[in-house]
Amino acid sequence: MTMELQVAGVGWRAGDVPVLRDVTFRVGPGEFVALMGRNGAGKSTLLDLIAGLRPPSAGTVVLNGRPIDSWSARDLAKTMSHLPQMLRAEVAFSVEQLVLMGRYPHSGAWTETAADRHVAEAAMIRCGCLEFRHRSLATLSGGERQRVLLAACLAQQPTLLLLDEPATFLDIDQQLQCFSLLREEADRGGTCIAVTHDINLALRFCTRLIVLADKTLARDMAVDVSLETPEWLQLFSTRLDAIRTPVGRPWVWYT
Amino acid sequence: MTDHETRRGQRWIAGSAMAFGAAALLLPFAGPAPLDLARVWAREEPDWSILVYLRVSRTLLGLFGGAALALAGSLFQSMLRDALATPYTLGVSTGASLGAVAAIAFGWHVNAGIAGVWAGAFSGAAVVLLLVVVAATRQRRVSAFGLLLAGVATNSVCTALILLVHGLAGMSESFAITRWLIGSLDAVEYSALGIYASAVVLLAMLIVRQARLWNLLAVGEAWAATRGARVTPLLFSGYVSGSMLAAATVALTGPIGFIGLVVPHVVRARVSADDRVLMPCAFFLGGVLLASCDALGRVVMAPAEVPAGAITAFIGGPYLVWLVRRRI
Repeated sequence: MTMELQVAGVGWRAGDVPVLRDVTFRVGPGEFVALMGRNGAGKSTLLDLIAGLRPPSAGTVVLNGRPIDSWSARDLAKTMSHLPQMLRAEVAFSVEQLVLMGRYPHSGAWTETAADRHVAEAAMIRCGCLEFRHRSLATLSGGERQRVLLAACLAQQPTLLLLDEPATFLDIDQQLQCFSLLREEADRGGTCIAVTHDINLALRFCTRLIVLADKTLARDMAVDVSLETPEWLQLFSTRLDAIRTPVGRPWVWYT
Repeated sequence: MTDHETRRGQRWIAGSAMAFGAAALLLPFAGPAPLDLARVWAREEPDWSILVYLRVSRTLLGLFGGAALALAGSLFQSMLRDALATPYTLGVSTGASLGAVAAIAFGWHVNAGIAGVWAGAFSGAAVVLLLVVVAATRQRRVSAFGLLLAGVATNSVCTALILLVHGLAGMSESFAITRWLIGSLDAVEYSALGIYASAVVLLAMLIVRQARLWNLLAVGEAWAATRGARVTPLLFSGYVSGSMLAAATVALTGPIGFIGLVVPHVVRARVSADDRVLMPCAFFLGGVLLASCDALGRVVMAPAEVPAGAITAFIGGPYLVWLVRRRI
């Protein structure tokens, strides 16, 4: 079945404080969505609502025709993976142990199978963390950890990847590799929704931009046409402007 | 687990299990009165009775008690993602202690004295268990943080009540309370030991069976939830089963400290953080450590006895500091 995610009129309140209201959009296979907005716009909250980590206080999230809260945790984890913004620093597991955890939804047996290990290894190769597979997570740099987390998500073999700032702590080359890998996933028919603050990365690799502002969805547009009306850049900062690079690609710069 | 890690883990589990068996066979022979094997073999008194009715039952209590505490400690450390979590962190053991102390102070001897302490410990544990679950539940969800907060709060209330009851108790009751609160092993009836050991083994199997889920929780609640774990029922079952292990042990031995903190740390640092290896190793080695500390306590100042609870703290405290400093 092809993946389809419907977010309909979703809102969330923290006690009496509204954090997010009335967000509606649909995402299908092959899309790589950049979820953007200023600090506190509700990006991570929206990602958590889609992941089923908290129940929305209004609206519904429907995945493949079924409301997210009616999925079993295992089935959901086979379909969808979530890359957290941060992991606590003192996790004592090795890189390989952590990546293999992504195989749990596929089989709860006592030990992982050879096939499980094969999938995990392939994911580690793609994310460039195979050479430190035996190191403890606590000894890695922030960027290395981030790659391990991505490998763990890929090991889940999801059709929908939710990523909360996957490029944090990564050096520029690693940021490019991370985003081209996600684009590859989308080109193979997968779906990625990534929270990011880097507009240029989003313009280069994503297929669609969703911008949150004033606690709701402000813009939802295809990347290709996004700079025909560049006013939305003001939602991030009044000092942004878009130009074209010598090779003709759009580039957002600031004064 | 990789092949290499799997084999290494299996070796450690097998080695720990053998140490557990060896301790059960050898430790009964340690004690102030030397035993003559030939006399035991011929069932001559008093050697036969000392061995069978005192030393063996006490050694088995140490083995299963240490195993239960170390397993509950590793469970709570994974579940709460707190390196300082022990079987006592979530308040149930302190509740059990309060019940037992009240039973001693107010002289509730159901029969033969011991039963009063047990009944007190179990009712104290049950009350605290309910209180903590109610306090930690919000909108039908339980989080590790909620459990921790409710547990620590209940702990301090129960500790205050223990002091109060202790203060109100008479001279001889007060002495008995102090002895009990240090935590020590003593010979128990085989019928009670049988029930206790079967409960420990049953709970241990239930807990260890879910080792992969405890691994997921040790990374994070959202991590576990998005990898197929049902977090609230999982935390709930972990809390209840770990607390039952701790409360049953406290009822029989008093609050023996440090086994539940030290053993999981040592195994995590030396062997593996994977609960599939960590939990079985902690179970067996925790038993070996407590039974050995008790055997040591019997001989080191013989004929006086040093309580096992004091010995585990003497050995465990400095070792933990050394281990942690070496890793920093």
